[in-house]
Amino acid sequence: MPVWQRIYEEINDPNFVILCAAEDVGGEAVAGPIFDAANATYIQVVDPDHIISSAFNFVNVPSAAWVDEEGRIVRIDEGTYSQQHEIGDGDHKISFGTDVYSPALKDWIAKGPESVHVQSAETVTGNIRQHTPEQLSADAAFRLGNLFREHGHSEKAEHYWQKARELNPDSVNFIRQNLTLTEEGSAGESFLKLMGEYINQGKAYYRPLDIES
Amino acid sequence: MADAMMAYPDLRHPFEEKPLHPEGSATVLCQGRNITLSQVGEGDGLLIRPEHLPEINGFTLKPEGVCYAELCIPIDKSLLVERGGEQWFDLTAFADLLGQTYVADTASRVWSFSEIPARRERMMVDAMAPDFEVTDREGQVVCMADLKGKKALIVTWSSW
Repeated sequence: MPVWQRIYEEINDPNFVILCAAEDVGGEAVAGPIFDAANATYIQVVDPDHIISSAFNFVNVPSAAWVDEEGRIVRIDEGTYSQQHEIGDGDHKISFGTDVYSPALKDWIAKGPESVHVQSAETVTGNIRQHTPEQLSADAAFRLGNLFREHGHSEKAEHYWQKARELNPDSVNFIRQNLTLTEEGSAGESFLKLMGEYINQGKAYYRPLDIES
Repeated sequence: MADAMMAYPDLRHPFEEKPLHPEGSATVLCQGRNITLSQVGEGDGLLIRPEHLPEINGFTLKPEGVCYAELCIPIDKSLLVERGGEQWFDLTAFADLLGQTYVADTASRVWSFSEIPARRERMMVDAMAPDFEVTDREGQVVCMADLKGKKALIVTWSSW
């Protein structure tokens, strides 16, 4: 979040907005302090029901759409990292993210449709994930689970979250959202096992980033 | 630090049990909205008062059909139902007609609807951004139309 804020300030264009949606069932209690620590001034949304992910058929975070002044999507659904990150140290150091995404974003803001990073409508529509009726139902089930959780009906909340994961097993969002509400957290052994299976099935954790470095 | 940020077991079920809605009411989740209906009709599907339709999904009942912006779906007679001398709109039958899926917990009188395919047709055909409606941290409702005229990066993230 602090990096997006820095990029937002560097671009400093009144005709550019960032809408940043935290897909956290934990809500403001979890996402709020992270926004605050970043001194975020862009549009901040706490989105426990994953409304933004549903609207654009995203199944993982961070994901993004670039939308031009006319409301047309010109890039969509990539691992939207503001920069390369490293966590851990020594043999346990993990690198993730990329340094090429934010320069591409800046190029688009500066050049508009002339930017080489603007994609055609045909490319964009080809990159939007198609969701089956079952996957769409998964979103509805997930929200039902959230409603029951917010009202203290924990058994039903678990039932509908489980149903969401069964209806859309490709949703990394559902897998990790579930794990983050356990002692183990969303980056433990269960996550590594699930992701190993996911990748072995030929599924991409993120759509490959189509930006040259 | 990173691991601690990604484990919140205490937040799994932190809330005391309370009713979802007043007795006799029903709840509809649709398009990011949470609507409590004080009255629903008796029947197999979800029967709502026609005047509640715009509040739920943005559609309006008109002589020419059930309409949202330039989209009008001709009224199928099965959508309008008489019960107890009153007219009801069958929201689940309408969803079936639109290809909109839903998940219901009828024992709790809650219906959760997915995205309406017809409202996102232009995204799939010519990459026009879909309508959405969310509330920002300042309590302001933000929808796609509010961002028109500017370039927008719409990005999701999470603490996990």
